[in-house]
Amino acid sequence: MRKEDTVKLISAEGFEFVIDKRAAMVSQTIRNMLTSPGSFAEREHGEVTFPEISTTILEKICQYFYWSLQFASGKDTEFPIEPELTLELMMAANYLHT
Amino acid sequence: MGGACSRKRDPQVNEDSLQRGVSGKYCRIGSSKWLGTSISRPALDILQGRGQCPSLMELCIYKIREDIDKYTTFSMLPRDISQQIFNELVFSQCLTDVSLKAFQDCALQDIYLGEYPGVSDSWMDVISSQGVSLLSVDLSGSEITNSGLIHLKDCTNLQALNLNYCDQISDHGLKHISGLSNLTTLSFRRNNAITAQGMSAFSSLVNLVKLDLERCPGIHGGLIHLKGLTKLESLNINMCHCITDADLKPLSGLTNLKGLEISRSKVTDDGVAYLKGLHKLALLNMEGCPVTAACLESLSDLPSLLSLNLNRSMLSDDGCENFARQENLRVLNLGFNDLTDACLVHLKGLTNLESLNLDSCRICDEGLANLTGLRHLKCLELSDTEVGSNGLRHLSGLANLESINLSFTAVTDSGLRKLSALSSLKSLNLDARQITDAGLAALTSLTGLTHLDLFGARITDSGTSYLRNFKNLQSLEICGGGLTDAGVKNIKDLTCLTVLNLSQNCNLTDKSLELISGLTALVSLSVSNSRITNAGLQHLKQLKNLKSLTLDSCKVTVNDIKKLQSKDLPNLVSFRPE
Repeated sequence: MRKEDTVKLISAEGFEFVIDKRAAMVSQTIRNMLTSPGSFAEREHGEVTFPEISTTILEKICQYFYWSLQFASGKDTEFPIEPELTLELMMAANYLHT
Repeated sequence: MGGACSRKRDPQVNEDSLQRGVSGKYCRIGSSKWLGTSISRPALDILQGRGQCPSLMELCIYKIREDIDKYTTFSMLPRDISQQIFNELVFSQCLTDVSLKAFQDCALQDIYLGEYPGVSDSWMDVISSQGVSLLSVDLSGSEITNSGLIHLKDCTNLQALNLNYCDQISDHGLKHISGLSNLTTLSFRRNNAITAQGMSAFSSLVNLVKLDLERCPGIHGGLIHLKGLTKLESLNINMCHCITDADLKPLSGLTNLKGLEISRSKVTDDGVAYLKGLHKLALLNMEGCPVTAACLESLSDLPSLLSLNLNRSMLSDDGCENFARQENLRVLNLGFNDLTDACLVHLKGLTNLESLNLDSCRICDEGLANLTGLRHLKCLELSDTEVGSNGLRHLSGLANLESINLSFTAVTDSGLRKLSALSSLKSLNLDARQITDAGLAALTSLTGLTHLDLFGARITDSGTSYLRNFKNLQSLEICGGGLTDAGVKNIKDLTCLTVLNLSQNCNLTDKSLELISGLTALVSLSVSNSRITNAGLQHLKQLKNLKSLTLDSCKVTVNDIKKLQSKDLPNLVSFRPE
């Protein structure tokens, strides 16, 4: 995959997730960051930092992005959510419009 | 957040009631109350399975719903998230007095628990803990008592409160809400205990815009306490038999009133005189009141009046000349009055009329000539009149007509040709014994039809072939007895159908159910008095939207329907035999 087709999502602890840009765009918030003229750094470097989202949660969110693409292509599987993550995941989902 | 005061509320009060006047269509199916969404609870769309991908937020909410016992509090969540969880639990009926506790101090804005099972005073502690965030509460149909209402005292930002059908609330309870001066909407439908004395609590609710006391039989003398509520725009005291002329006197100064509903009260022409100064009045419902056409004189200077309901009152032709001054009227209901063609002459100039109800009036073909200029007419109700085929020619130019009811008229097949050019027509009621297949053949150009009622018409299998032209049909009734399974073949492709009534066709067999098994949009199905058996029920499995199923006088047992309900049709709420 070419570098310009990926984005780097960085968690509060500094952990980096390099994922398919199409997957990341599932989030309306990330889509805006990567496309709006106001967010120069994100657009230029394809990098978004989330100082309020922990590594565990961000990993789960990345999994959801890919699950969502699969869903769109007709593959309807269950997306597992661990009960202990649910509340934190919701707050992140709320922020990411996901 | 300062959203509490600025939030927009549904402005649909008046349109809502106007609408009711237009489509006052009644349904023979006993379960009709389930067909409309009587209470609309906010809920997430359940999109899982097919179509749109569920959002991560939705997936999380479903997950919480599954494990709700594991959560003790949601108060750390932002308000809008806990609100979504709350709404989902209510919608899926998973909220209990135990799980409710997790919502203590969540700053929720809306608590919609109307008709929710099990709601009682013990729920009020958590409800009131939302404090000044709380904007609207619906506890209709609950066991809430007067002492339960004490809790609401601190929810001072409350704008809307619905306590319909709460029969344990009486005058004492009203005292507790008298301090909620931000209330704009208040509703106490069907409360037997509220009296004039308790209504004094309303006098401090100075921001009240909408008050609903429908079916409160004890409120005579209490409207005096509304005198100072000058912001009031809508008052519903329908079905309050105790209301007399004197009760209307305190309303004479409420000049912001736009909607007034006093149906089935004792109000006479003298009482209507108190309404003379209500210049903003747009909707007046006096159905079943002992008023005569003389009351029109009091209404003649109300420039905003758009909707007037005089159904089942004491009108005769005498005094009907006053209708001529109501040029702004859009909706006029004159059904079940002793009116003749002589009255219709005075409606000639009401060119803004969109809906006219003449149900069971003594009008004839010649009278309809007065309607030819009512070009905006969308809805015309002529059921049970003396109108026949000759009269229909006067309607053929009313190009905007969307709905005509000709049930129990003398109209015959040969007259129906006159309707064939009414291309806006969506709803047609031809429930009359003399209508046959030939009549249907004349209507095939009406491809926009969504509702067709041929209840008593003598339609046979060969007539059903014309139904193929009505691809948009959402409701269809053919109960004249002439159909067999062969006719149902022509119905099976009408996939928009949500309501289908084929009762009284005693030759229909299980084969018919098989034929309609693909009509998955069906919400209501009736095939009573037929040869349907238990074995046929299996064909209904795919009708997941079915809420009502009527199979009276068939070889079908309650238990088999119940089995079908629990296994395959979770939405089925009403069925017969029961």
